[in-house]
Amino acid sequence: MKLDRITLENFRQYHGKQRLTFSKDSKRNATVIHGVNGAGKTSLFLAINWCLYGEGPSNTGELMSKEAVSGAREGETISTSVELAFIHDGERYLVSRRLVGVKQLDGSVPVANLDDFTMMRTKRDGQAERVNNPIGRMNSILPSNVRTYFIFDGEKIDDFARPEENEQVRYAIYNVLKLEVLERGRNHLQAVANEYRKELKNISRGELHELVEQEEKALDEKQKAILRKDQLEREIESARRKISDIDGRLREMQSASGLAHQRDILDGELTKRQSESDQLVSNIRDLATNGFIVIAQSAVEKALSVLDGKRERGEIPSSIRQQFIQDLLERMQCICGRAFDVGGEEHRRLMALMDSSLPGSLEDNVLDTAAALRPFSERAQSLKDTLDRSMQRRAELFDIIRGLEEQLDDVSRQLKGSPQEEISRLEKQREDFRADIESYKLEQGSLETRLESLALELAALKKKIDAAKKDQTKEDVLTRKMSLAQRSADAIDQMYQTFADEMRERIEAKTKEVFKLLIWKDSHFQDIKLGPDYKLDVIDRYGLSARPDLSAGERQVLSLSFITAMSRVSEEEAPLVMDTPFGRLSSQHRNNITEHIPELADQLVLFVTDEELRDQARANLEPRIGAEYRLEFNRATSCTEIVEVNS
Amino acid sequence: MNETIASRDTVVIDEGVHDVYRILTEGGDALSVPFRTMKDVFMFAAALGYERGEHRPLTGKRLTIFRWAQFTPQTDIPLLKCLAIARIGDISVLLKQDDLLTTAEEYANAGIHELRRSLLTESGQPLWNLVALLVSQDNG
Repeated sequence: MKLDRITLENFRQYHGKQRLTFSKDSKRNATVIHGVNGAGKTSLFLAINWCLYGEGPSNTGELMSKEAVSGAREGETISTSVELAFIHDGERYLVSRRLVGVKQLDGSVPVANLDDFTMMRTKRDGQAERVNNPIGRMNSILPSNVRTYFIFDGEKIDDFARPEENEQVRYAIYNVLKLEVLERGRNHLQAVANEYRKELKNISRGELHELVEQEEKALDEKQKAILRKDQLEREIESARRKISDIDGRLREMQSASGLAHQRDILDGELTKRQSESDQLVSNIRDLATNGFIVIAQSAVEKALSVLDGKRERGEIPSSIRQQFIQDLLERMQCICGRAFDVGGEEHRRLMALMDSSLPGSLEDNVLDTAAALRPFSERAQSLKDTLDRSMQRRAELFDIIRGLEEQLDDVSRQLKGSPQEEISRLEKQREDFRADIESYKLEQGSLETRLESLALELAALKKKIDAAKKDQTKEDVLTRKMSLAQRSADAIDQMYQTFADEMRERIEAKTKEVFKLLIWKDSHFQDIKLGPDYKLDVIDRYGLSARPDLSAGERQVLSLSFITAMSRVSEEEAPLVMDTPFGRLSSQHRNNITEHIPELADQLVLFVTDEELRDQARANLEPRIGAEYRLEFNRATSCTEIVEVNS
Repeated sequence: MNETIASRDTVVIDEGVHDVYRILTEGGDALSVPFRTMKDVFMFAAALGYERGEHRPLTGKRLTIFRWAQFTPQTDIPLLKCLAIARIGDISVLLKQDDLLTTAEEYANAGIHELRRSLLTESGQPLWNLVALLVSQDNG
């Protein structure tokens, strides 16, 4: 960026329109603007900052020329503006910032709106166009956070050299050398990696492994249960065979055969009754589950009353279908074949029927539903009666079965109490086998219940495993993405560190080179250090840190050296605009700076007092001055005029 | 001509009562598992909800338990229509399958709690508790 010219209109003490053209010559690259204290140097310096970045007082009304306001009539519009033309990357830009206000009765001039910032660009072919995003474009040319290192108040630049300002130094390097771009890339990728990590944490519950283990356990248990059930079945079969053998032997024994035979009959009867009881329970279950028609009786009655009510009121003419009336109306002929006219009695009756009839499908539905519901009452009664009878029969069967069991117990007791030891022993064995069978059956029942619940558990586990497998696939993809993002972030971080270190070392070397040129005690100060902690330090001839002992002027020189070093290392084409740069400097430093600084900047703009630039300093700068102006303050009007000095 | 309006044919329940449906239908023992299908439980619960004058809109996560095709044309569908007419009082509901389902679902959503209380919370085998429920209805 090279400044071309600035035009001020009613800006502070610059009344009317005033223009200043900067030197763009590469040899005579210095523009010097002289002015005594209060003549308007700082206002002109402010005009540059305000125009480019909107930087200025919070009350923008203060920027308006008091002379312009004073001379305006009530209701007259006053305009304050600064236009700045510059060249960047071979293209010309013209930026303008403007305030407009109307003078009020009380003399005040409220500013109408926010300042108006516009940017025009003249391309290489001479075509001019308005830049749509002027603030964004301005920041891409010379970022707002960087410009303070190029456009600054000379008396306030010793910050970099203060011992506590490491962070300022790091921040300056970070901004001017655009390390921000790398850091943003690194931060973005790190954020992406963190996002993947978070997502991964959410889905990765390490669940699949656990679920598969649970499934394996459940399958193992199921397998064992099935084997045990089969084993129990065989045990039951074996016990039954043994009971059958015992029964056979008892039947053959004369003293026991009568009781054995009686038991055969009772067993047969018991089996029959138990079977009947089981069937009865099954029937009762079916009756009971269909019992909702009993429960719903009041609903049936209410619905039927609604449906029948429609019919009673003639809203459902069950014998006359809408389609039938429609056909008669289309043919204009009665069912008896007699023709009728529109508006006639027959026609009116048919139309009335048509209006009161319902669509065929609804009418069918009403009729079908009513027909289906009507037997519900009878069905409910029948169900209740059947259920009553079944429950009575169940009670009877219960008694019969109990009686048969008691008789069987009695038979068994008699056999056990037989005086013949063999009969008694066999019966006891028989009883043990029966007890075993009961015990086995109990275990079988328990296993069946467990198998049923295992089947449900396995079905639920299968669903969970399928879902976890999907998550696992997602997890694998996310792991790969996270790893890629993290590796990229790490690689950029490595680049950032390497680049930052390299830049820091180059700035260190350049700062040392410039400092040696500018400082008059060059033999005392041996070295400049800019360490990884970004501490800018001066090493004296004894190898010690000299920074705590630096004078204000020396600190200013060190800061200036650092700034110009940054500007050179960054290879950013930008002007160096300095307001009262030499005020606090001794003549030796002024002489050194005026001799060397024009070589260290592409374009130099100095706002100076006459005292700052005289004698040797003036002589040093003379061959580099391409444009020179004097700010002449008019005591009568309190306004300043920019006057070009012809050398 | 079938002019019935239906945008769904699934029967849904609140997920929170699904366990009651499961307990009452899963297993081979008729005494402890009185119902053969979830449809049977649903029909009973719907009738019971109407009888108790309670209907609860489904507010929780919904779960489909069976489809319209499982309703029998002789008993179930006329009863669904009966519940809807009895509640709404308008015969046009007969052509709106969605409304028939919603009405029955809301009654069942209330009735299922009564069914749980009577069959599973009371002492005794669930089948005999069900029979007792019918008998008490008869007496009531």
